[in-house]
Amino acid sequence: MLKKYYIPRLIQYFTVLFIGLTLVFVIPRLLPSNPVEHQLSRMMSQGQYLDPSAIEAMRETLEQLYGLKGGTFEQYIDYFKRLFTGDLGPSFTQFPTPVMTLIRQSLPWTVGLLFASLSISWIVGTVLGGIRVSFPRSRLARLIELLIMGVRPIPYYIVSLVLLILFAFLWPVFPMSGGYSMGVKVGFNARFILDLLRHAFLPILSMVIIEIGGWFLQMRNVASNIVEEDYVVYAEASGLPKAKIVFMYIMRNAIIPQITGFALNIGFIFGGALITEIVFAYPGMGYLLYSAILSGDYNLIMGINVFSIVGVSTAMLIVDLIYPLLDPRVRYQ
Amino acid sequence: MAILEVNNLKAYYVTHTFGRSSTVRAVDGVSFQVNKNEIYGIAGESGCGKSTLLKAISGLVKPPLQILDGEVGYNFDDERLDILSLRDDRKRRKLRGARISLIPQGSMSVLNPVRRVRKAFEDVIYAHLDVSEKEFEELVSRHLLALGLDWTVMHTYPHQLSGGMRQRITIALSTILRPDIIFADEPTTALDVVVQRGVVQLIKKIKEEQQNTLIMVTHDMSIHANLCDRLAVMYAGEIVEEGDVQSIFSAPKHPYTTMLLDSLPKVGDSSARVSAPGAPPSLVDPPEGCRFHPRCPHVMERCRVESPVLNGLGNGHRVACFLQEGGK
Repeated sequence: MLKKYYIPRLIQYFTVLFIGLTLVFVIPRLLPSNPVEHQLSRMMSQGQYLDPSAIEAMRETLEQLYGLKGGTFEQYIDYFKRLFTGDLGPSFTQFPTPVMTLIRQSLPWTVGLLFASLSISWIVGTVLGGIRVSFPRSRLARLIELLIMGVRPIPYYIVSLVLLILFAFLWPVFPMSGGYSMGVKVGFNARFILDLLRHAFLPILSMVIIEIGGWFLQMRNVASNIVEEDYVVYAEASGLPKAKIVFMYIMRNAIIPQITGFALNIGFIFGGALITEIVFAYPGMGYLLYSAILSGDYNLIMGINVFSIVGVSTAMLIVDLIYPLLDPRVRYQ
Repeated sequence: MAILEVNNLKAYYVTHTFGRSSTVRAVDGVSFQVNKNEIYGIAGESGCGKSTLLKAISGLVKPPLQILDGEVGYNFDDERLDILSLRDDRKRRKLRGARISLIPQGSMSVLNPVRRVRKAFEDVIYAHLDVSEKEFEELVSRHLLALGLDWTVMHTYPHQLSGGMRQRITIALSTILRPDIIFADEPTTALDVVVQRGVVQLIKKIKEEQQNTLIMVTHDMSIHANLCDRLAVMYAGEIVEEGDVQSIFSAPKHPYTTMLLDSLPKVGDSSARVSAPGAPPSLVDPPEGCRFHPRCPHVMERCRVESPVLNGLGNGHRVACFLQEGGK
């Protein structure tokens, strides 16, 4: 079991990480622009006179700071060495703040926002999907399906803008933007937490409204195949209570792909939710990535990518590791 | 005494797509009686309505299947009821598994793949009986022992068992509550011939031990010959011949029955077997007159326009064919 199942998956995990992190290293180096020259020309265009030896010295310092010193291979080795110590280099635009510090500031916001919306939409979508299939003649279930299917195709940014206009502008019950109000003391106190929830409400709601549809559809489609399975028909023929059939026969089997989907989406959390965070000016990873791309801060872009890669592949690994608990058939394959 | 009475049962699959409805007349006016303690066989090719008939008489009717007409009456020792008029879903559930039970086709997925076998037994027993865990274990181990199964199967998942083993467990599950009537729906399909024999013998053994009524649905005429007391032959949603197994096998009256029997191998006869030519008709639009006439070797003018009814020939043998009415 250990040898046949866990070891290959661990090897796969580290291989994926290695390839992903290598790509993060290679891709910026294929760009035609050079950040050191970029920085130098920016300084010189400000009209400062610098003699060539000073420029040379500065180039050296910048190369060292940016990790661009030496041949590509040396840089590569150096890059991994720094990764292991958790050093992602300084941000170029907010020099000399380390990228790690910027990410550490943004990460909790994004994780809070996305984890909340993911969990809520997953639970609601999965349960509703299962109910829709288990009670095909229920009018309420059909009405809910109609609603969900109607909302799903609306472009995401429109939903968030509409929510913003309705509940922050026309009827200002929720704040327009930001993660918390100015002047509220950050800390573990009731006032701050309430303020936090008020600010997070609209962004979370906007994501939940759209995401429920996907979970609902996936659950409905999987479950509607399972209702036809022989074991469900046989359970009916054996006179089992309806609740038992719905939960332990239909839902229990249909939920396996749902859990995979959930875990994979946890991995995507670390990349941030670009549009939500921009629309609601939420101080998360998506917002950070957006500004990094605009300003060509590619140490920061790389840093965020490293987090995404580690996040997604770790989530995949966890799914793989817990899968035998969910589906006993996987163990012997 | 008849434990099951089916009268003029009509079960159709009705589907509506884009405002057009299509009807598959899977069971079309079927009447028969099954006596207490007998083994009643239902034979016929695939697509003759055998499985639909089983669904209808065990009350497992779900859209698109609809019962348009007829009644299905059960005469148990203490009560008499019509399962189709039972409006209360809970009452129907109480009946299923406990008084009438189903042995399904021996397919891969009759047992829930994510639950251990023990859980399957727990589900069935706790759904019908109010017993303690100790009583549960006693009940199951006694039953498993009687069926020649080992208690260790209780800890396994279905995918860890062979097809034959799974089918034995399903049979154990279906019979653990000593039902009055057992419906076996092609219990030997998907099993190899050696295992088939074991499964048939197991069903027979349980039946003799528990003294219940067994309805055996299969296309396999050799199983009917070995197991059943009486036999009904279905064709295109109708019963075309019914009688005790002895008389049907020795002197089949309906050309379709003859066809089925001719395809069986016989000891000492080395000539090539003739398979029944053609295939059952579409039940969306069955042929006019006798439904068998397009394939019948003895077809007459009358068969194309009139449809024959089941007529008694004495000693319980019934047949729906004009040949038997002296129409030749």
